[in-house]
Amino acid sequence: MDPLAAIRETFFQECEEQLAELESGLLAMEAGETDSETINAVFRAVHSIKGGAGAFSLDALVRFAHVFETALDEMRSGRLAPSNDVLKVMLRASDVLADHVRAAHDGGSVDEGHTAALAEELKALGPDGAAGDSSESEEDWGDFEFKPMSVDLPGEAATETAAGVGSGWRVALKPRADLYAKANETALLLRELARLGAIEVACDACGLPDLAGLDPEAAYLAWTVTLTSDVDETSVREVFEFVDGDCELEITPLFNGTLGGPDADAGDTFEPNTGGDLDISALLARVQTVADPQPPPSAPEPAAIEAPAVAPAPAAAASPVDPSPTDGPGQPRKPDAGATIRVDLERVDRLIDLVGELVINQAMLSQRVMEAGFARASGVAMGLDELEQLTREIQDSVMAIRAQPVKSVFQRMPRLVREVAAMTGKPVRLVTEGEGTEVDKTVIERLADPLTHMIRNAIDHGLESPEKRSAAGKPAEGMVRLSAAHRSGRIVIEVADDGGGINRERVKSIAVERGLIAADASLSDEEIDNLIFMPGFSTASEISDISGRGVGMDVVKRSIQALGGRITISSRPGKGSTFTMSLPLTLAVLDGMVVSVEGQTLVAPITAIVETLQPKASDVHSLGGHARVIAIRETYVPLIDVGMALNYRATPMDATQGVALLIEGEGGQRAALLVDAIQGQRQVVIKSLEANYRQVPGVAAATILGDGRVALILDIDTIVAVSRGADSLRAEKRLAAAG
Amino acid sequence: MSMTVLTVDDSRTMREMLRLALADVGFRVLQAEDGVHGLEVLAQGDRPDVIVTDINMPRMDGFGFIEEVRSDPHYRGVPILVLTTESDAEKKNRARMAGATGWIVKPFNPVKLVDAIRRVAA
Repeated sequence: MDPLAAIRETFFQECEEQLAELESGLLAMEAGETDSETINAVFRAVHSIKGGAGAFSLDALVRFAHVFETALDEMRSGRLAPSNDVLKVMLRASDVLADHVRAAHDGGSVDEGHTAALAEELKALGPDGAAGDSSESEEDWGDFEFKPMSVDLPGEAATETAAGVGSGWRVALKPRADLYAKANETALLLRELARLGAIEVACDACGLPDLAGLDPEAAYLAWTVTLTSDVDETSVREVFEFVDGDCELEITPLFNGTLGGPDADAGDTFEPNTGGDLDISALLARVQTVADPQPPPSAPEPAAIEAPAVAPAPAAAASPVDPSPTDGPGQPRKPDAGATIRVDLERVDRLIDLVGELVINQAMLSQRVMEAGFARASGVAMGLDELEQLTREIQDSVMAIRAQPVKSVFQRMPRLVREVAAMTGKPVRLVTEGEGTEVDKTVIERLADPLTHMIRNAIDHGLESPEKRSAAGKPAEGMVRLSAAHRSGRIVIEVADDGGGINRERVKSIAVERGLIAADASLSDEEIDNLIFMPGFSTASEISDISGRGVGMDVVKRSIQALGGRITISSRPGKGSTFTMSLPLTLAVLDGMVVSVEGQTLVAPITAIVETLQPKASDVHSLGGHARVIAIRETYVPLIDVGMALNYRATPMDATQGVALLIEGEGGQRAALLVDAIQGQRQVVIKSLEANYRQVPGVAAATILGDGRVALILDIDTIVAVSRGADSLRAEKRLAAAG
Repeated sequence: MSMTVLTVDDSRTMREMLRLALADVGFRVLQAEDGVHGLEVLAQGDRPDVIVTDINMPRMDGFGFIEEVRSDPHYRGVPILVLTTESDAEKKNRARMAGATGWIVKPFNPVKLVDAIRRVAA
């Protein structure tokens, strides 16, 4: 990657960190932590984003960040109190800033009207209050188009007229001690002047006292330089940009080789002493070539001698210095910051892959050792046990590399809550717990959408209006709690609200209306609650602005299931609802049920399996052709012969001779998979079939078992979809395969 | 002449931008993330020819850092350029009061940055 593009990526990564810092800082301030450190951190976040954005010419981002920064600066300097109203504006501004960052990154667009409105609100907080109208503000922003170098010396404006008139400049310079204390050097200034044209330098050493009276920190010399060049005065002044105020400086144009403007000689206290015995050009030549910043002591210019401390010592006490800022060279530096490295994700995945191989290899080795007849207590078998232990630990540690705290997705939620709260007019407090809980990066990335949807739902449908809440004796402000925790090898994420709970009567009547259940169906409370996960329960007609976007809870459930997770709901009338998601910590291994079909070993994901049963002949009904259904309690579900579906056999097996796995697909559809026998449950390492062979319909992936055989992992959804909706299609496929 | 430049900036982006611009012209670049870290790097004894520092940083800001450097007998003569988006005179003056040699306004152009460093470096 082009290095600048790489830095650009770094910038956007850093922006995300700064945005998170900004938001958590503002939230902390809202909670009363308005100490200067918090305010400074918030200011710095916006400031850094602006700085980087400027470097990449992201003008819209710079403009908004600038307005934001100005308001924060007011707060930082104590002129603006961090009241709740002010913080609310700033929180919304942080959302807009985030939009700008993302738009700049992905090339998307930003709601200009919204940006302008917030920029106005921010400006109203600023030093000029609401005074600035928009045309003025454009000028403000225009002013921010900074040049790489700014020169703001008095008299700069007058240079235009003088420029190019004369044949050169006469520069009279008398440094003060301050100039040297700031590590500026007269010699370097002369060197710079020499770059502009030919110079003649005269030094006035009249002020130099006897050695006894010489103060090494004082400045005694004055210089007059005649510069022959056609550069303008600005260029000459620029040389002295850094020493402005630390020296007496006069720059006068030369006309036709003669010295001086009208006042050139007036009051000149340091007339060039050309009779002085200093060889300036030799000195100049030396400073141009010598790299050592410390000229030899014989240099006749005190300035060039490294000035002893003139720097004000008391200022050190005023700065927020760490108690022990100057650690010795022997001490480890920045243990915290040095403890992380960035690694290409591909490398980690390669490592995970290899460890998967190792696990398989180790299992194979164990099996061989057992087959060879070693006793359990033999040295070989015990060594192998230890190896197995170690392999497990390596696997866990490697998986941990991909693990990240859920914080990255949790921290997007406060903004969502603010937006939805504003849209619904319901005051909401979001409480998050367990942000540090770690889970695989891919799981985190794919959690954002379902979580977003659930939180929207919780506020829009779960929480009652403030009036209703007050009437029910609850605080007007609703609460949504988002929490994460590790539980028995999985991560459990809960979204809970303290709203009215599920209105079961209404849910039931909607389900009947939509034809999802029979009008006379008798359902338990739990069954009713789970109706909201059914496809078709939420339809376009009731989609509100907030929960809408055409997705219902069925989509949430499907995306959780796609991650190998489960979602459940529990609800108490008047108290609220809790959605609980349980997800695997990684997508690299899977809990599988190992089954046999026609001598083949297959794996079905356990998360999809609801129950297993031995079919009774009386429950299985033929629908003509090979299609069969099985009665499981009151309902009929399709009975799919896996051996048929995967073309292992041409005629269906006798259902009573096999085992049926009642499964639920991602869409909530149920079916029974008929297999020959169940071998057991185990955790398997997922191997992509696509990457190693090609995609096979009905097969999600593969794994390698302890005995070294490849077992296919069933793609439940495809199998169900194919045998359910497209029975005829399946027949066609089989015909095609046969022909 | 190869020069060693210490850059002190809390922003990873800025540190990388500086490193890119300076390494491009053959300078050796030392990096620090804030003032405290900057002093730690100096304490390791690797003397930079020029220091470039940001102003707004956690733990110890640029002002504090400059003051510390200027009060250290070993480093008080090292030119310090302040690198900041602050274009207002107040910040610049405070930095100068603390002992800054010069300044560069962000966003910087790599040529001007190197120019400014060469200007103050002996």
